Order: sequence, then structure tokens, then C-alpha cells
Amino acid sequence: MSNLSRDPDFLDLLAAWHENKVTSPERRKELLVRLQGDPLLRQALADEIEMVGLTQSAQSGEPRWLELEEILQCTKDKNHSFESTLMNLVEKSKIRRAKSSKLVSVVWRSFAIAAVFALAFFNLYVLLKEDNTVAKIIRLEENGKITKAGQSLEAGESLHIENGLIEMAFRETGVHLVGTGPLEVSLTSNDTIFLKRGDIKLVVPPQGIGFVVNTLERKFTDLGTSFVVNASEKGSKVLVLDGEIAVKDKAGNPDQVMTEGSSATFDRNGTFSLRAVKDSGVHELKFSSNTLSDNSLSGKIFGIPQISSNQNNINKTYRFSRVDQKMLPLIRSQFTDLSSIKDMIQGSPLRFEGIAGTYNNFPTNNQLAPYSLKQGWLAWYSGKVKPPQKGRYRFWGYADNHLLVAINGKPVFEGSRSDSSFRHSINIKRNNHPSFPCLNAVAGFASGVWFAVGNKPVKIDLLFGESRMQATSGILLIEYQGQSYPTTYWGQPMWDLFLTEFPSKYRIKEFEKLRLQMEEKIMGSFSLNKKSVWKVISNSSY
Amino acid sequence: MANNPNIFDADKFIKQVLSGKRDSFRFLVREYGLLVRGYLSTRVYHLSDAEDLAQETFLVAFKKLPDYQLGTNFRAWLLSIAKFHLNNYWRKNRRRADIMEQFRHDIAAAIEPEMNLASDDVKTTQINKLLDCIAKLPERSRHLIRSGLNGVRLEILSDEMNLKPNAIYQLRYRAHQLLKDCINNTSEGIPL
Repeated sequence: MSNLSRDPDFLDLLAAWHENKVTSPERRKELLVRLQGDPLLRQALADEIEMVGLTQSAQSGEPRWLELEEILQCTKDKNHSFESTLMNLVEKSKIRRAKSSKLVSVVWRSFAIAAVFALAFFNLYVLLKEDNTVAKIIRLEENGKITKAGQSLEAGESLHIENGLIEMAFRETGVHLVGTGPLEVSLTSNDTIFLKRGDIKLVVPPQGIGFVVNTLERKFTDLGTSFVVNASEKGSKVLVLDGEIAVKDKAGNPDQVMTEGSSATFDRNGTFSLRAVKDSGVHELKFSSNTLSDNSLSGKIFGIPQISSNQNNINKTYRFSRVDQKMLPLIRSQFTDLSSIKDMIQGSPLRFEGIAGTYNNFPTNNQLAPYSLKQGWLAWYSGKVKPPQKGRYRFWGYADNHLLVAINGKPVFEGSRSDSSFRHSINIKRNNHPSFPCLNAVAGFASGVWFAVGNKPVKIDLLFGESRMQATSGILLIEYQGQSYPTTYWGQPMWDLFLTEFPSKYRIKEFEKLRLQMEEKIMGSFSLNKKSVWKVISNSSY
Repeated sequence: MANNPNIFDADKFIKQVLSGKRDSFRFLVREYGLLVRGYLSTRVYHLSDAEDLAQETFLVAFKKLPDYQLGTNFRAWLLSIAKFHLNNYWRKNRRRADIMEQFRHDIAAAIEPEMNLASDDVKTTQINKLLDCIAKLPERSRHLIRSGLNGVRLEILSDEMNLKPNAIYQLRYRAHQLLKDCINNTSEGIPL
């Protein structure tokens, strides 16, 4: 075959197939014409695509086909009832015993029971043998030699390699593990391993969420991610490459969630150190001027002042409350009782420009300093607004950590992360949509309740912020009932970004960059639509 | 055929299933699972969709097993069910396809006979050898092949490997050629 790997048409067709290149209509036509007229190109492309699919399937863990399993399980039950059949046999043998001589009866009974149990154990052995296979070795490289590829591993099996590396896929969860020697690891079950020594990296697909890595010091539970764990005589270390993990100590204290980019070490004495997390991975919009216009929804940013350790006169509750917890009385009072926030420090006034992307530098850019990083920050936007048209609306979105919207004082949307007080302390109906991935949320986009708005202006209150440290991201979209929205390749409707001013040309470019990044990296998306902009009637309602 | 212990005798297990021993269907799933998943994942972009379709295929095969004519080609029968599900999937997705997705459908339609030929050429034993062969690839090629599994985007790979996108396709193409040689090679020595 000619060397098609250098043929630009072949490469463009592959790029189009793998979604890495958007081609012009003319080029697409040209490629199809060439494809239809060139059997060699067709064959090469088909072979290449075939190999991509095969290599992916071969490397992935065996799928967990629950529906099929359920149907076949019925048979297993029947096989299990084999044991009761055996017991019936024993019962029958009792009847026979009464009719036979004592000696014959004893011999027969023993034989029957032995046969029965031998058969039962054999059956059980076969079943257990099938069920115990938890993983498959993709590659084992030790002392420079590659061995054991394709070998099955059973629950309870331990692996010990002094050097080299091992790569395996877990059968039911699809979890992909790479470990480097020296390594000692035990496969406890199909979703749990115990790491005694060495480094392992795990990539956990959605069906593997909940996969557990135990070390002597901690239990690491995956929440949909990729992470690295190291265990040694000194203790264990973890680095979260993507997504989140929950870390539990052996004393049974509540789980601690670690997010992408964060790492921690746990020594044998129980002490641990947590390193700061890095960016959430999505684009941070450039800071723009906060000058308000009549069309701007205004806001304020709040934080808790830094308190030095020798300020013992400070109320303990104040010292340890997070900013979202302090906002709860305000929300409950329908945004009328400001007493709980009066002691907080404020940054410069904010201009609402939508919520989309990363907000790691938001407090600093808005002069919220010095504030307690550990207690987080919150932006509160408020004003009277009119919808672009009367009808029913609902909000969609997600924030790491806090996001809440109230209309006329009543919360209609809460899209916060699981550790936000808004999620647990305020009773707001929320639907999670895991099939629409959103930022770093395992739960996916959240949607609120439908609410009706007429021609009269309504008061809007919008809270968005961070619970601790600096890795903040969020998105807030709005859907008008009855309107159809374009969908992404993954089927997510591209609802409109909630805005009260249509962005400048420069800002549109930034949003566009963010949208592309979201679509490519995290599969989420949104639209910018002039017709969906809400009009600000008054920008200071508090 | 059944006399050769190295050749999987599908009919033997089908008969067992039909006689009421449903659990024997697992042997068929185990033998043909990778083949069906491979067939579907070459034609469906998302691996998870391919897995769902593969399960559907086996569910239907299980239900329709009494219709299968013993002594004919079970593999072909199974793949025809997979193809039926694949067509349904395409039909459903075509409605909401964007321009590039539409283009991919056009490409798929243009190369469908070649794709079928490619699938027919692949033997189950060869697929089972794939893991061995991947393990023996040179480091860079192996990394590239693995990255497909983890859904790593081309841009990231391009940065990571310091290669232009086209160079990545070329490298992968060459890796696939090596893999093909490897799985076609019956001896233990792998020509890599």
C-alpha cells in the first residue's frame, strides 16, 4: 500500500473523523469526492478506524452489562437452587434410610451427602471462580521483560513487583491502573485495592466512581477522576490529576474532598499536609472595569476579615464560620435581614457580567483584601429586572462552590457544589443532570424550578462564591420555556448565558474562547443571545 | 470443527443455552464480547455508546437465540444484530447531528463496504492478541495507542509529545501497521 500516512487528504479525513478539525464545505466536498473515487484511500481509512476501535475496546476493562447480567442471573439462581435440590436428595435419603438396613443406610447416606456436597462445592467453585476475576493485566514489565499480558487477576490476589511496571484494567468498573515497582498491592474486590508500597496512577471512568484505594493511613475514594497514590514506610501521598476524590482517615472522621491539582501527604503519625489546588482548568475571563451603567446589575463581594491567632476576644463562631453559612439568615429573610453580613468586609462594587468560567482571581481583582481565604468569599448581585418576554423560565448551572438565585426573595435555583451550605440548609428543589457534564461537577448541570414572570419587573438576588481557598468556577444559564436551543454534539441544549447586558465585542471573543474550551474539554456549552438579555430597571435594591 | 480444541465451538454453548442452561451464554459473551465491542467502537465515536450498543446486541442475541440456525455462522449472525442496532443509533443521532457529525456520517457511508471487510478480516484470536501486541510497542507508540483509551484530546497529546497533529496521526498509523503485523503473526516472536 502506498504511504498514505503522508497524504493530506487521508490525514484530514482522520482529523474530521476524530473531531479534531472543522473543515470548510468546499474541503469536505473535495474529500468526499476523493474518497468515493479512491479505493485505496477508502481501504486505508477503514483499516485505520477499525484499529482505533479495536485497540480502545481491547484496552478498556470488561464492561459492566447490568441488564444482561440480570437476565443471566436468573439462571444462576436456578443453579443455586441446585443446593436445595441436593437437600431434597438428602431428605429423600432419609426416607430411604427408614426402609433400608442400618448399615446400608449409613453408607448410602454418607455417600449421598458426600456426593451432594462435592457437587455443591464444585458448582460453587465454578461460580466463584467466574465471579472472582476482577481485573486483567494489560502489561507487566519486570526486569526489562514483558510478561503476563492478558492474565486475569482474582479478588484477594496480591501483586508484588520489585521493578518495572504493571498496567491493568478492572473488569466491572473499567478502572485503569498503572503501577511502578517496587510495588505491593492487593486486589480486595472489583472496586477496592490495598496499596502497601509503591506508586499507582488510576483513571476512573464514570462507571467506576466509588473505586477505593486503601493505604495504611487513609482510604481514598474516587469521585470520577484520575489520581496518583504513593505508599511507603513513611506514609502515603495523593495527587489529584483530574476531578475529585474523597479522603477518609481510619478514625472515621468525615470525608475530606480533594479536587483537581491538589495533593496531600499523610504520615504514619496521623498528621497530614494539604497543598493548595491549582486552576480548575477552564478559562478565566479577563478582569474588566466595574463602572456601573444604568443597564448593569450591581453587586458586592463579601469576605471574612483575617483574624490573627492572638485575637482571643473574637467570637469563636465568627472565627470558624464560612461566608456561605453567614449568608443563610439573609437568604431566609428573603434578602431583607442584613444583620448577619454587617461584620463582613467588602471589596469594590461589582458589575454583573454573567457567570461563566474560572474565578480564581475574582476577590483579588475586586479588592477584597485582606480576607480569610479559609472562610471563602461571596458575591451578591441584586436589582430589579424585566425579562426579555413574559413567560416561564428556569435556571441551569453549577458552581464550585456556591450559586443561588432568588426571584422576589424566593430562591428558585441552587446550583452549588455538595459542600455548600446552600445545598443543605436551604430547601430548594433541584434536579441534577449527570449526562450534561458541567465544569468539574460529577452531578453535571443542575436545573431549578420553572418560575413565571410577567410584564412587571422582579427583584433578583444572585449569590456566587467560594467556600475556601481560591479554585472557583461557575456557570449560570437561563432557559425560556417553549424555546428550542441548539444542541452540542453530546446532546446538551446550549441554553443562554444569563445576562443583564449584552457583552462587548472583546468580551464576546472571550466568551467564545471559553465556550470552545468547555465543549472540547468538559463537554458543556452555552449560547450568547441578545434576545435573552434581562433588562435592569433598578440596580440597587439593597 | 468441534474436534479441534483450539477452535471455539459456539454451537455447543448455544445448544446448552437452548436446553435451559442459560448461564452458558456467558461463554458466548466472553468469546465474542471484544469482537462486538470492537466492531461497534470503530463505528461509534464514544466508547460508552459502543458499550451500550454491544450490550443491546447480546440482549437481543440471547432473546433471539432460538431463531439462530445451528451450523451457520454465529459470529456473522451476532454482527448482523450489532449492525441493526448501529443503524438505529445513526438514524436517531442523525437528526441532531451538526455539520461535522453529518460529514462523519458521509465518510462512514462511503467506506462502509471497506469497514465491513476490515471487520470480517479480524479474527477473535487476533483481537485477543492485541493486548500482548500493544504491550510490545515502542514506548512512544504505546503511549499514543493508550491515550485513545483515556479519551485524551489531540491538542493535549500534541503538546505532551511535542508533535504536530498530523505527525501524531502518522505515528499512530505506523503503530497500527505494527499491531496488524503483530496480530497476524502466529509465532511468539513479534516483529516490532
